[in-house]
Amino acid sequence: MRTLTGTMAVLGLTLALCGCGRGPAAGTAAWHDDHALPADTLTLPTAEFGTHGGRFVFGTTAGPRTFNVLMASEQSSSDIDQRLFAGLADFDNETQQNYPVLAKSWETSPDGLTWTWHLRRGARFSDGHPITSADVLFMFQLVYDGMLHPSLQDLLMAGGKPFEVSAPDSYTVVTKLAAPHAVVVAAIGALRIMPKHILEPIYRRGGFAAAYGVGTAPESLVTSGPFVLKQYVPGEKVVLGRNPWWIGVDARGQRLPYLDELVYTIVPDQNTAAIKFQAGELDAIDNVKPEDYHTYVEGAGRGGYTLHDLGPSLTASFMWFNLNRTKDAKPGHPAGEPVVGPVEYRWFSNRAFRRAVSKAIDRDALIRGPFYGQGFKNWSAPTLGSRQWGALGVTGYDYDPAGAKALLDSLGWKDTNGDGIREDDRGQSLRFTIKTNADNATRIQMLALIKDDLARAGIACTPVPVDFNTLTTNMRQDLQYDAILAGLGSAVPPDPAMYANFVTSHGGTHYWNVKQDHPATPAEAELDRLYREVAGTSDMTRRLPAWKRIVELINDECFVIWLPTQKIMLPVRNRFGNVHPTAVPHRVLWNIDRVFVKPSTARS
Amino acid sequence: MATYLARRLLQTLPLLLGVSAVTFLLLHLAPGDFLATMAENPQISQGTLDAMRHRFGLDQPWWVQYGLYLRNVFLRFDFGESFSRHQPVFVVLREGVLNTLLLAAAAAVVTWGLAIPLGVLAAARQHRWTDRVLSVVGFVGLSVPEVLSGLLLLLLAARTGWFPIGGMHGLDYEQLPPWGRVADVLRHLALPALVVGTVPLAARMRQMRASLLDVLRLDYVTTARAKGLDERQVVIGHALRNALNPLITLFGFTLGSLLSGSLVAEVIFSWPGLGRITMDAIRSQDLYLVMGSVLMASVVLVIGNLVADVLLAVADPRIRHD
Repeated sequence: MRTLTGTMAVLGLTLALCGCGRGPAAGTAAWHDDHALPADTLTLPTAEFGTHGGRFVFGTTAGPRTFNVLMASEQSSSDIDQRLFAGLADFDNETQQNYPVLAKSWETSPDGLTWTWHLRRGARFSDGHPITSADVLFMFQLVYDGMLHPSLQDLLMAGGKPFEVSAPDSYTVVTKLAAPHAVVVAAIGALRIMPKHILEPIYRRGGFAAAYGVGTAPESLVTSGPFVLKQYVPGEKVVLGRNPWWIGVDARGQRLPYLDELVYTIVPDQNTAAIKFQAGELDAIDNVKPEDYHTYVEGAGRGGYTLHDLGPSLTASFMWFNLNRTKDAKPGHPAGEPVVGPVEYRWFSNRAFRRAVSKAIDRDALIRGPFYGQGFKNWSAPTLGSRQWGALGVTGYDYDPAGAKALLDSLGWKDTNGDGIREDDRGQSLRFTIKTNADNATRIQMLALIKDDLARAGIACTPVPVDFNTLTTNMRQDLQYDAILAGLGSAVPPDPAMYANFVTSHGGTHYWNVKQDHPATPAEAELDRLYREVAGTSDMTRRLPAWKRIVELINDECFVIWLPTQKIMLPVRNRFGNVHPTAVPHRVLWNIDRVFVKPSTARS
Repeated sequence: MATYLARRLLQTLPLLLGVSAVTFLLLHLAPGDFLATMAENPQISQGTLDAMRHRFGLDQPWWVQYGLYLRNVFLRFDFGESFSRHQPVFVVLREGVLNTLLLAAAAAVVTWGLAIPLGVLAAARQHRWTDRVLSVVGFVGLSVPEVLSGLLLLLLAARTGWFPIGGMHGLDYEQLPPWGRVADVLRHLALPALVVGTVPLAARMRQMRASLLDVLRLDYVTTARAKGLDERQVVIGHALRNALNPLITLFGFTLGSLLSGSLVAEVIFSWPGLGRITMDAIRSQDLYLVMGSVLMASVVLVIGNLVADVLLAVADPRIRHD
């Protein structure tokens, strides 16, 4: 033992002597704006005016997989790529409204089908090349390319058809829609602009999907957003620097971003990230488990950071019963039979049974337990976290154990043999399984409590944690399950238009009965009808009531049984100004172009 | 020796073929595919998913995909592309291999640098308290999981500030002079190497001890002692060289597990190694990346075993490979 600790101490001492601690940040000399501001600057609102300089170190669990923003499909890439590339418009997480970015303004025809976009004059890529309507047209060409088929393509369709795009001049783009589109500004804003003058030859050679991959030399990655890529060390870090041509300024006309460097440090283990943050090596992290909130609250006083309360998560949690019917005939089994057995299908398809299950679940206990007191009851997706769509005031069947028992009694489903579990009116005892993904500790804890709640109502359910990929196969392909507890992630913007495949009966994520040819129930036919109302116009006076009706209907039918959603809290160091993390992605990063190091706390 | 080497290398071909076929089959039996995560996004339509599945060739039966894979490997030495990164598999793997080898080498230094002297000490002091304490310490090291020892060491690092908390380079690595860069990497390397290195320490120490004890019972050692040699000379000068033989074989075998032994430590210490890349690939079912990684590990394993056999022949003249 002595040898061991001795060696360690000696090693530690020598290394501590020769290696230095945190050295000076890059670019200690004050930054000087080399370029005149463009004709049309983008003035961004800031709570405080900052000064240039400094570095922000963000801890992320996974590194980027590509810098090609159009082909990026997961959070770890888009967290970075959307800092590198800007679109015509963007979503302000604070106000939850769209605002113009590379476009100066837009207008729409009275029928809502023709949208005219006016680009900012003087906007340039990071290599100084002007950004014009040709670049926008090029991006539309890419997004509609059948071979590339970027996932954004679905959002940029109206009435099942691509937008018709034309450019009358270098600074005007006209998009014509075949049918009204609910979130056309957000959809077009999501199409980030990449440099045609660099990428078109590559696209013509068929190399676009691989272009701007993680192997790209930083200096050859030409960007349109506030940042440029300075360095990428695989598995370790990504360093972004300032785009010298960026059009964004604060209200005093100082060019943004304020920061010299934005560093993404890749820390795959959450415990390590917590230690790293507490030790001051990270300025913010992207994810904190609810059970760790209290440690951050305690450390916040002495650690020089604040645990920001971001409110309800945009990820909705819920469970549902399998109401799917087979699509193909098998020997002895014609197509259209319930996938679960006839006994289970009689239960699951019974609305009173589903309501009883919803009433049996103690949601306050779920918040106290798996969410460590940090959660909200939620009855829809988009969740409460959406400013516009979360505050409908609709409540579903909440905890009412007596009511749950009364409902089951009224069906005649009573415990006849005294084993504590009810039997249905044909003598079958109410037993089923609920699956969830094993890697999500919170969901497994929720299932443990739900199991107890249902047992008190006389229903026996067995939690079955399975591998994530097994779960997705079960819920969409082989449909082998009784019930599943899962979640729906957040979308930007948090708008019902992003949930088409969940609400409508032919959708692939209409989990309880996926990809129906015809609505299986009158309620689902009504959902389809109402959803056309929600998605077919951008008129909020028509969208809101229709959506409210959809939420009421789903709650009344208990197609899904909504469970609480987590409160999101994230720690960020106090030495930064303009920090406004939001539950909407990308949490602390969405306004990172305005974040600055406060002068009194700036390190040399 | 040359024919032996040639024969052994030829034998690896069917082995690698078998490994690749089994891996490919297992990946296809596993539920879901690379697009499973994307399918849960309600904004993405079935048409998009089908188009992507077709683009990646995932709509073909597995034997067709495997056949195409083998043809590309043999005819063009093309191991495919990572779905998620749109990069050739070996470009992705290359990032991690060197880092993992560095960690494994440092861990081997820790293991062997401690196991041999401590094993010798334990043997020389057999059944005395030194021996007992060493075996207790060794087994504690063996039984504490890497996750725990890793996190404890990170907490120690956070408390004392002696070591950085994970990673491989400091943030200002690029600004450092060459010697500073070496020191920076060493500072980052120390803790993960200690964690990975202590896992096999107990076993190696006990093997060294047992082997030395066997030799110490031989006649020539008694002769040496009878000549009146000092015990230190007997143990180190006469017995140790012979006692090292079985350990050399073991050392060769550990070469085989170089690429796979440090996954847990890589995750905890944010070490940018191959293990993390492979695990990500398996999780996201990035088919060809998993294949490349498994094949590379198999090749290293085969080479490690070969080196072990050769080392043995070099160390012990009685063993011949003809």
